[in-house]
Amino acid sequence: MIKYCVKRIIYLIPTLMLVAIMIFSLIHLIPGDPASVMLGADATEEDLNAIRQELGLEKPIATQFGLWLGKVIKGDFGISIQTKIPVMQSIKERFSVTLILTTLAMIFSLIIAIPSGIMAAVYQNSRKDYLFMLGSILGVSIPGFWLGLIALLVFSVKLGWFPSTGFVSISENVLEGFRYMILPSITLGLFMAAVVARMIRSSMLEVLRLEYVTHARAKGLSEWKVITKHALKTAFAPTLTTIGIQYGFLLGGAVVTETVFSLPGLGKYVVVSIYMRDYPVVQGCILFIAIVYCVANLVVDLLYSYFDPRVRYE
Amino acid sequence: MFRRILANRMGLIGLMVIMANVVLIFVAPWVATHNPLQIDILHQAAPPSKAFLFGTDEFGRDIFSRVVYGARISLSISVLSVLAALLSGVIMGGISGYYGHWVDNIIMRCMDALMSFPAILLAIAIMAVLGAHEYNVVIALGTVYFPRFARLVRGSVLSVKEKEFVEAALAMGTSDLVIIFRHILPNCLAPLIVQVTASLAYAILAEAALSFLGLGAPPPAPSWGNILSDARNFMMYAPWMTVFPGVAITLSVLGFNLFGDALRDVLDPRLRT
Repeated sequence: MIKYCVKRIIYLIPTLMLVAIMIFSLIHLIPGDPASVMLGADATEEDLNAIRQELGLEKPIATQFGLWLGKVIKGDFGISIQTKIPVMQSIKERFSVTLILTTLAMIFSLIIAIPSGIMAAVYQNSRKDYLFMLGSILGVSIPGFWLGLIALLVFSVKLGWFPSTGFVSISENVLEGFRYMILPSITLGLFMAAVVARMIRSSMLEVLRLEYVTHARAKGLSEWKVITKHALKTAFAPTLTTIGIQYGFLLGGAVVTETVFSLPGLGKYVVVSIYMRDYPVVQGCILFIAIVYCVANLVVDLLYSYFDPRVRYE
Repeated sequence: MFRRILANRMGLIGLMVIMANVVLIFVAPWVATHNPLQIDILHQAAPPSKAFLFGTDEFGRDIFSRVVYGARISLSISVLSVLAALLSGVIMGGISGYYGHWVDNIIMRCMDALMSFPAILLAIAIMAVLGAHEYNVVIALGTVYFPRFARLVRGSVLSVKEKEFVEAALAMGTSDLVIIFRHILPNCLAPLIVQVTASLAYAILAEAALSFLGLGAPPPAPSWGNILSDARNFMMYAPWMTVFPGVAITLSVLGFNLFGDALRDVLDPRLRT
């Protein structure tokens, strides 16, 4: 098991390297001189030179990359052009919001997906199943940001149940903070709920036909026990991979959701920085999110190998 | 085979929705009641009425006409990006699977790296670099989706590569290119088609999200996401602006999803749920 873990972690490094190269080249792919791109058309010659010195834009590209990589490994993601605050600091402040949002979204989606997926599998081809399929297809077809807008419209503007502007962090005040997070989390989690629900349904359908389930029933176990204790455990493993992939969708979707609900998270920070052409921030944030996603996938893979030991020997 | 698709009711509905969208692209000038770009100061943010079926936006432009013309932009961008992803994916995947060894390794590592970014984030990053323009969206979304196609094709190629008819073709002296295109690729067709419909659905959603963030087709061009972005500022006073473009997006994506599911059931019963 340990050997497998180490192997997977080492495997991650070249991928992360490529990711770093891709992000680094982003700025250098912008047509025009990077310095004037970042400062805008009306920057003075002195400002341009200052930025060139600061970011070392005069040096050969390989050297620039090496320097940048060195700083990144130490945790220095550069300094924002707009606010002059170190990027890492801004990331740390805002990431907690995004993390809470994505975690809540995942929890909501699993709460909806697992029971409904199981139910659809157990009552296959019945009316409940049909409704389930309809619901899940609708769930993957509705654009998340539109759902958020409609939710805001109905629940905040018309009904006034939830606040539409402002923000209170959960770390300050759990109940109040939760009120601000409910709508965004549910809208973000819906897509994932639909995908995971279908996955669970198809896994369960496969598992319920297997011999050991019939054996469990023959032993006289209640249907509930058969489903939850025996079938679900096996069905869960492939679902785990889907959950890992969906976490990427959550991270991406958080960008849009935070913009709709005006949450001070990392996603909204990226979008705003793009408008402001604050490229060090854009680079740093995207790198950070990519690393988080890679690590999350690694964790999911390791968990999968825990549930399904056959994977370790590939 | 077509009879089986048609027999699946949901798939049929999906296909009809797709056809309706396609038709709409062509007949837009006749269906739209107004010029979608025309500003009308007298009727700013007007609620739905006989003259303005879906109401007007803050510049007085008819939302119904904008939604109808929006189909052109949203759908053409999605189709073009999936096409771009398909072509580049097939080429990359074909080369990677066929030649194997270090070529395969390098290409697949690059694909892994590209897939390490959440899709929307990668698209946003590329748009940040290229600037907001319709063709840049095609490049961005194409780049986001092509690793998935490449992986798919590579997998199929690997599974077929060792078979005897390929060996026979090699022995006859057929060139590599011909082998790839005439013998190996036809075997990937089924999962490819399924992936295409799924990607089209995602692409429409992604294009709408990009436009919503202001990183898609630049104004005043009506893209469904654009209209929603404008609507956001007027939610309290003109809620009708938020409803209709979203319904349009949902219906289109629903069509592709339903049809795609039906296609998958027919073409690849192993994936059947």
